[in-house]
Amino acid sequence: MNSGNDAGQGLLEARLASLVVVGLGIVALVGATQVGPGAGYVAVGPVVMPTIIGLGLFGLGMLLLVRATVRPDLDLARRVAAEAAASEWRTPGLTLGALVAYAAALGPVGYILATSAFLPIAASILGSRRPVRDLIVAVVLSVVVFIGFTEFLGVRLPAGLLDPILP
Amino acid sequence: MDVLTSLAGGFATALQPEYLLFAAAGVTLGTLIGVLPGIGPALTVALLLPLTYSFDATGAFIMFAGIYYGGMYGGSTTSILLNTPGESASIVTTIEGFQMAKAGRGGPALATAAIGSFVAATISTVAITFFAPVVAQAALAFQPADYFALMVVAFVSVSALVGRSLLRGATSLFVGLLIGVIGIDVLTGQARLTFGVTELLDGLDIVVVAVGLFAVGEALSVAARLRREQAEVIAVKGRAWMSRDDFRRSWPAWIRGALIGFPLGSLPAGGAEIPTFLSYNLEKRLSKHPEEFGTGAIEGVAGPEAANNAAFSGVLVPLLTLGLPTSATAAIMLAAFQVYNLQPGPLLFQNSPELVWALIASLYIGNVMLLALNLPLIRVWIKILEIPRPLLYSGILVFATLGVYSAANSLIDVLFMYGIGVLGFFMRRLDFPVGPVVLGVILGPLLEAQFRRAMSISQGDLSVFVTRPLSAVILTFAVAVVIVPYLPRIIARLRGRRSPEGRLVFGEDD
Repeated sequence: MNSGNDAGQGLLEARLASLVVVGLGIVALVGATQVGPGAGYVAVGPVVMPTIIGLGLFGLGMLLLVRATVRPDLDLARRVAAEAAASEWRTPGLTLGALVAYAAALGPVGYILATSAFLPIAASILGSRRPVRDLIVAVVLSVVVFIGFTEFLGVRLPAGLLDPILP
Repeated sequence: MDVLTSLAGGFATALQPEYLLFAAAGVTLGTLIGVLPGIGPALTVALLLPLTYSFDATGAFIMFAGIYYGGMYGGSTTSILLNTPGESASIVTTIEGFQMAKAGRGGPALATAAIGSFVAATISTVAITFFAPVVAQAALAFQPADYFALMVVAFVSVSALVGRSLLRGATSLFVGLLIGVIGIDVLTGQARLTFGVTELLDGLDIVVVAVGLFAVGEALSVAARLRREQAEVIAVKGRAWMSRDDFRRSWPAWIRGALIGFPLGSLPAGGAEIPTFLSYNLEKRLSKHPEEFGTGAIEGVAGPEAANNAAFSGVLVPLLTLGLPTSATAAIMLAAFQVYNLQPGPLLFQNSPELVWALIASLYIGNVMLLALNLPLIRVWIKILEIPRPLLYSGILVFATLGVYSAANSLIDVLFMYGIGVLGFFMRRLDFPVGPVVLGVILGPLLEAQFRRAMSISQGDLSVFVTRPLSAVILTFAVAVVIVPYLPRIIARLRGRRSPEGRLVFGEDD
């Protein structure tokens, strides 16, 4: 138990996670109370499954909390702490931000332009140092995908700003 | 109808030039995506699912069979050369495979994996051909109570046998069940857990969940570590081929791996993790060179890779005959069937025999194609491993978005997918397995439907599940699955010795 300190951070995260699971259970139980009974006779109504899931999540969350407090799983805590030490929040946070912007831009800007912008930006967030190469890859990839999907697979992708010049 | 006649009919369909092209496209795409590090067959199938929407059902499933097998072949390459298993069943391959690659024997390791996969998959496909129709015939007598019991077995074994802890596996499963219950209840038309959000009325699509968890979750967790870690790709010297001695040591391991993998994979308690671990331990025990284990013994790659492929084929038996997926990949395959309004199960063999037999025939064809793709062309696939990480993961995010967006042209689906990706990120960080979530999403509604059907038949009497002999036996089996991993500890305690640490653990997560 000499490495209790490294494990501290991991245990804290494990406890928070168990509370989230308990919270999900409560959400399911509250959601279950909002389900209407439905017309006609059914042996098992629509409320049963959400209730069982809610109770299950609540119980599992409590057990996880016990496991992280009363009899801590130090092995796990150390692993989580090691994971935390080896990682940082900025890169995944920025990546997620870029993703959401990309999705929002798809419709109005169009598939080709949005992808051509997103790919080099995301690559540079992830540590790429060769923006020109990334941009070329992005343009080629998005044009090939766009034409492949719309012409050969019959899947419509948004043309956006390039609508006047695309086939 | 005779099995061989049906199979011949299947080949007649699958050998048409158009369908051969679909099979070739499937195995190539499957290998291409499967060889990308961190991407297993489950994600490969989920990403490529929307591509097949414009095809007819037979063509789509022939392509799927190719993607399914191709993803597995591709996965072994990353395990051996990068020490990055794409999914849990490849973990064992990394033990000896990566050591062999480091010792300059990457070529023989890749060759034994590819030929072993071919041998095992062919044996298993023959087994499917003769075994699946028998199971389908027997399954005609199954009642809803029995299906319910089978699904309980699948749930229990996924939580108990996958991942390090029963508690964490069960939590993941319940999160999946929670996601699965969102939307309109088919029986009563009531909205459940939508909290007034109109977009949730149709529920969350399995592709949204799987791509979010596997692609976005994986990319985000790689992003968190990327600046501090460097992965090394090991160059392969020489050809991907084996010496006479390698071959002599490999072939019994292939056969044994296939014989372990197929039966265990086809049990409803399936999954491919356990057979690979069993095969590894067996090879270690039987080997004439036990001292080589841990430093690159070829049997330790040959056996588990064969077991992995055989188990993956075995998983198709409960999927096709009972409609019961037992792995995350199978769950996504089931979703694909649902897209085409096909319900896998005993009736599939009666109602759509052309499709089933064309699918089975294309498994044979796909295997031959994969052997051809993987032995001479292995260098091409290795090139893919050299794509710089930042570009690779940005590309994965682009394709994840494309896969979900193109399925329904819906921005909200994409945002849900990202949200689930964040969930997957935290689950990875906190060591929760993600495979059971996918299984929970697809199996939860099926379980509920069978439960309700059984209860309607019994007019609300819960005892139907234990009074029907078949379902009682199956449920007893489920209880056994929970207890067995703890047996060593219980026995030790009964004998009054100090208990060994923990329980038996087979895989990590999917």
